[in-house]
This record gives sequence, C-alpha cells and structure tokens, in this order.
Amino acid sequence: MKGAVVRLLLLMGLLAIISRAQVLRADAGTPVTLAAGALLLCGLFAGKVAKGLGLPRLTGYLLVGVAVGPYALGFIPGEGVKGLDLVKGLAVSLIALVAGTELRLGLIRRVGARVSLLCAGVCGVTFLVCFGATFALKPVLPFLSPMTLPQALAVSALLSTVVVSFSPTVTIAIVQETSARGSFTEFLMALVIIGDLFVMVAFALAAGLTRASFGGGFDVAGLVGGVGWELFGSVAVGALLAVAMLVYMRGVKRELPLFLVGLSFAAAEGGTRLHLSPLLVSLAAGALIANLDEREGERIHHAIQRAGLPVFALFFAAAGAGLKLDTLMTVGPAALLLVVLRGAAIWFACRRFAPSDDPRLERYLWMGLISQAGVTFGLAALVARTFPSFGAQVEVLIVAMITTHELVGPVLTRKALTASGEVRADDAPGTA
Amino acid sequence: MQALLVFLAIAALSLLASSPALDPARFPALARLAASGFLFLLFGVVLGPSMVGVLSVADLGSVRPLMALGLGTAGVILGLNLDPRLLRLLPRPVYAAALAHSGTAFFFVAVPLLAPLILTTRPSLHTAVGAAAMLGAAASLSSGHFAVLAHRGGRMDRVRGLGVALLTMLDDAVGLSVLALALVLGSAPSMGEGLGLVCLAVLLGILCGALLAFLTHALNDPAELTTVTLGMVALVGGAAAYLRVSALLAGVACGATLALVGGRTVERVARALGRVERPVFLVLVFLVGCGVYTRDWAAWALVPGFVGLRFLGKVVGGGFAQRLVGGALELPPRLGYALIAQGGLALCLVAEYGQLVPGGLARRVLDVVVVGAVVNELLAGQAFRQVVRAATPPAPAPTPGVEVAT
Repeated sequence: MKGAVVRLLLLMGLLAIISRAQVLRADAGTPVTLAAGALLLCGLFAGKVAKGLGLPRLTGYLLVGVAVGPYALGFIPGEGVKGLDLVKGLAVSLIALVAGTELRLGLIRRVGARVSLLCAGVCGVTFLVCFGATFALKPVLPFLSPMTLPQALAVSALLSTVVVSFSPTVTIAIVQETSARGSFTEFLMALVIIGDLFVMVAFALAAGLTRASFGGGFDVAGLVGGVGWELFGSVAVGALLAVAMLVYMRGVKRELPLFLVGLSFAAAEGGTRLHLSPLLVSLAAGALIANLDEREGERIHHAIQRAGLPVFALFFAAAGAGLKLDTLMTVGPAALLLVVLRGAAIWFACRRFAPSDDPRLERYLWMGLISQAGVTFGLAALVARTFPSFGAQVEVLIVAMITTHELVGPVLTRKALTASGEVRADDAPGTA
Repeated sequence: MQALLVFLAIAALSLLASSPALDPARFPALARLAASGFLFLLFGVVLGPSMVGVLSVADLGSVRPLMALGLGTAGVILGLNLDPRLLRLLPRPVYAAALAHSGTAFFFVAVPLLAPLILTTRPSLHTAVGAAAMLGAAASLSSGHFAVLAHRGGRMDRVRGLGVALLTMLDDAVGLSVLALALVLGSAPSMGEGLGLVCLAVLLGILCGALLAFLTHALNDPAELTTVTLGMVALVGGAAAYLRVSALLAGVACGATLALVGGRTVERVARALGRVERPVFLVLVFLVGCGVYTRDWAAWALVPGFVGLRFLGKVVGGGFAQRLVGGALELPPRLGYALIAQGGLALCLVAEYGQLVPGGLARRVLDVVVVGAVVNELLAGQAFRQVVRAATPPAPAPTPGVEVAT
C-alpha cells in the first residue's frame, strides 16, 4: 500500500504543478482530456490505497475524485469534469449490460415475486417517512415555505420519490469487485434494479401531480405515454441492441470489447436523446442475450470485465469530482436528517418485510440499499429542468444527500456482501 | 452528441474501408489510401464543415479533446522509438544521410513558398517564416511503409528495405525540430514567450515520462499496466492541450524519457500503446481532414508547388544521402523515389500548428499539406516501382494486394 500512496502523492504533485502552470497562462485550452487522464490514474492508485485500508476500491475512486476535483483542491476544473458526462453515460451502459447478463429467466422466476413485494415494502415505507419529514420541514426549507398546502404536498412527494431511489451502478460495481455470487447477491441486485423501475413510474406520477398543483393541469395521457415510452421503449430498443450484438458476435467474432464499448456509447447517448432510460436499454439488452444464448452472455460478461478497470475507475472518480461539497454547507442539516431517516426507514422495512427463510436478508440487506448515484443524479437534474422556480433548490438538497450516500454506501454494500458470506475473491485481477 | 457522431462516422467508415468493396485489383489507389489510413482523411474532408457539413465547426470544437489525445498518443509512440542507447550506436554518416534528404526537401519547399505565403496573406514576417517552415517540415518527412512492405513481400532486399525505413525514421527529428521552431515563431506574441511555451511542453513531457516509468515499474497486472499507460497518455496530451502548448512535443518528450529510464517496462508500455495506435490514428486523421477548408483557392494554388518541389527535393536529397552514407548503410538505387510517401507525422505537425498558431495562415498550411499528403501517397506507389525495378532484375509480377505496415 505504501507504494500506491507514494505514487498517488506524486500524481497529485504533478497535477498541482499543471494547475499552477495554468494560472500563469493567459488562455486555457480544453481540460477534458486532462480530467480523463488524471482521474483515471488517481482513481487507479486511490483504489489500491482504499483496498489496503480495507475499504472498497470504489470508495477510493470517489474520494480521490472529490479531492482533486473542482470543489476541493481544484486541480481539475469543473469544465473538465462536465466534459466527462459522455464517459459516465458509457460506464452506466456497460455496467447495466453486465447486470443484464445476470438476469436469467430462472432467477426472475425464483425470486421475482418475493423481490417485487419486498421492493414495494421498502420503497413504500421509505417514501412515507421521507415525505412526512420533508413536509414537516416546510417552515425551514426555503423553497417549500412560500408554497400553498397542495403545492407543498406535491413537491414533498416529488422530492421523496427521488430520495427513495437506489444505485444499481454502485451495487453492480461492488459485486464485480468482490466477485460475490449467491442467493443474497442475486436478491440484492434484483431489488435495486426493480426498485429503480418503481421509482421511474412513481417519479413520473409525482411530477405530473406537481405540475397540476402549479396550475399546469394533470395530463393523464401524456403521463401514461411518457412512462410507457420510457419503460417499454427502453426495453424495445434494448431488444434491438441485443439482436445487433448477437449478429455481430456470431458473424464477426473479433474486437468484441471495442464493439461493446461503441454500442454502449450509442445506447447511452441515443437513449438520453430519445428520452429513454440508458440503464434500462442496456439492462434489457444484456438480459435478452443471456436468456437467448447463454454462451454469448458469458462472452459479454468477460469482455466487459476486461475493460472494467479503466471504465469503473474513471466513472466513479469523475462522479466524486462532480460532488458539490459546498452544497453540504448550505443544506447540510436538512440533508443529513433525510439521510438518517432514509437509512432508518430502509433498515426497518427490510427487518419487517424481508423473507424470513433467509435471515441474512433481514440482517444485512438494508446496507446494500443505501447507495445513491447516477439514477438519483439524473432525476434531480430533471427536477431542476422541469420546475425552474424551485427545482434548482430541490436539486441542491438531493445532491447533498447523494454526496453522503456515495461516500457511505459502497462501504456498507461491501460489508453486506462480506457478512452474507458470498464474497469469493476480494480483488479479482483486472476488475473494478 | 458530437463525439457520438464522430464515433459512429469512424465506425461506419472502418467497416466500409475493410469491406470487399475496396478490392485492390479494382481500385488500387483507393485500397492504398485505405491501408495507409489516408482514406479517412478524405472522408473527413468530405464530411467536414466546408463540404457536406455532417460535422459543423462547433462539433469540431467539442471534439478537441480527441485531437489532444491523438496528438499525445502519436507523440509518445514516436518518443518511445527514440531510444538514445540505440541512436548512439548509429554511425554519423547515417545521420548525415537522413539530414541530407530531409533537409534538401525542406529547403526546396520552404524557401520558394515563402514569397507566395507573404504575398497572399501579408502576415508578419516571422509568422510567414514559421508557416513556410511548417510546409518545409511536412515536406521533409517521409514514410518507410513502402520499403517495409517491399522487403516483407520479397520485392526488395531486406537490408536495403530496412535502410530506407531507418532513414525515414530519423527524418522525424527534423520535422519535430522545425515544429518547435515554428511554434517559437508563431504561437505567442513574442519569440521569447514562444520559446518558453515549447520548453514548458518538453518539461511537461519529461515529468510525465519519468512518472510513467515509476508508476509502471512494479505493475504486473496487464489490465493495470494498460490503464496506467492510457491514463498517462491522456494526461500528457490533455495537460498540454489545457496549457495550450504542443501535445505532440510533450508526448515525444514523455516517450523519449520513458525509453531512457523505463528499463524493462518500455516494451510492455509500447505493446499496450500498440493496441490503440491504429484506431487513434484513424480518428486523428479523420479530424484533421474535417479541419480542411476546401474553398481556400490560394491553398489549392500552392498544392502543385508543394508536391512538385517536394518531389524534386526528395530526388535530389536522396542522391546526396546515397553519397554521404558511403558504406555505413546499404540503400537502394534511386533512393529519392523511395522517399515520396509522406506519412502520418506530417499531418500531426500541421494539425498541432493549426491548434496553437492563430490566424488563417496556419489553416492554409493545413490545407496544402493534407491535399499534398494524399497526392504524395498516390504518387509514391508509382515512384517506388522505379526503385524496385532499378534494384532487382525483372521478376514474375506479384499478385496485386495491399498490406498494412505495422
């Protein structure tokens, strides 16, 4: 670990020199490539340091991103981190593609109903607790206090829907890192994925109610159409991608990692432009391939695992660099209260509703549900765009919560997997 | 979205370029351009803002990070080839010969074209000198891929083929030196500041190269080694682009430093970079092609002069080189004809110059060199046949085919 610390410090020293040199230059060029290289290198060695300290590598990626990013040491300018959004989209697609290959029909038949019930319980309890707390905070939250009662109720519901969301990305990355396999891991992964489907539907409903409470009218057809397009359109586009991948894999049989990166890139960018969920598109594609042709599903899994290290290191380090630490100062107390209440609600719901045949689910599952990342960020940004009068302040509150969850969540997820006894290798070579 | 467009365009063109539609027997010129990667240059010109306009000027601005990455990668690969221990083993006449053929072509192009550059754009004298020097530098460079393919295909003696390849490798130093000079002259308001920026690029490269050697020293996992290599290439190119200094020169300094101090990791780093070399090169030439402004008639007027003078310079310079090299290196007769192919570094030089030197003159230099490089690639095939014919007795005609030099 000592070697990794020295290397990390040298890298940060070089970045300090570069940022100092830039101050002396009158004009600056594009910082995106610098951000990519710096976060990749720092992420890799920070991951090694984190592993040496007994933490998930992912926590190392995130923390070093925070450290060198624009809101702490400032070695990487904000413009550079923003320019990596494309890479973030790519990483989410790749991660979802791998997760999809795990969703076999047998697994869905085995745990699907139980996972859905538990998910409804966890999401429901968490929503009610956060909704109640947010509404109770109306007098102290500046964006809620001037609103009428129906408006405050609708906005509280909207915010709580976003707060409920989980992070399939973090969960899958930790599962990859630890090579965890078993019924507990399957249950956890299925729950975070299904949970996000619940959140997508609930969010659309809450957004429609909020719009109506502000005098925009309640457009049922538009609401159903929007949700339907996002869910079923994503699955349909995912199916098309799956067919394209199978044709390529059976016909061309070479350069698979490059092809998968290209296709995931197209899924991420194209999905966003078409108002689809890139996560769901890739998830559907992966699941379809795994169920149509198990051998090709395995090939995809291995190909992405080989390309996983740089993708994960860059994605999570960039996510860390994008965390707005200053928001913790402005809305810190309210955000911390919601973080604690959310955690308690998830813990309670898991203890109350988890299937009793596996005591590990009751004891440890809640730890795997704390993380929040990409989906939550996306929904928060959507709130800011859709409701310009108060959305930006809601976004700040949610981002402050994500910041806390991103730092605590990966550690808890790994702890849950370790406690379940399903961790196979602590650090498979070439993985995240 | 712009990056997605570029990616999809490159992917589609890759499939097209590797398809049977480009049969060497039916379309030898197109197949040769596809094999050298210059077909992507033409695709870039056609799809760029000045022709079809699939990519707009704003799109090109947003894919600048890719350009920085490409130039940084090219620089590190070039620098890795500059192993000082191997270079010290070469006898002086070899250096003299390399300098002769590249220097002659440089002067044959730079000096006569200085006057038209001044007359058409009326820039300051040192900007015009810098631009003419860039044209000369691009002209001085040659690619040895025809010689390598000829000796691999048994059409040329191996020693002679490698001799040509060695001379073309050494002329890279002339091109890079002139790029440094042109940036000193044109990249900043004063020459002192320009010199400072070039030194900053080299210093950045040296720091990154030394750090890369240290970072990769104890890495045994191939995935980690590849990640660190790619990360450092992005860092050196990106830092140079961020500081508005030359990514190419910084990359060369990084690669050369690694070659000097890297020990056993150099080969592994080179292998990791080799995996991304071709795709990165194709993206780079595509983007260079997109930057061409096809409606600059003055540039078109300069192209025949550039190509003709370079051809003459290479033929005369090749003669000088043969005389100077003596018995130190075996070279084929009519050496100058073997040096007509221009290679990708010329494009990197003018792309870098265009990024760092403001004004229309830099774009004109880019236009002339891009069109000239394509014409030279087409001429090179014919010219190299003269060398093969002069070097060997008539033999049965080989089956037509195009190979890619690696």
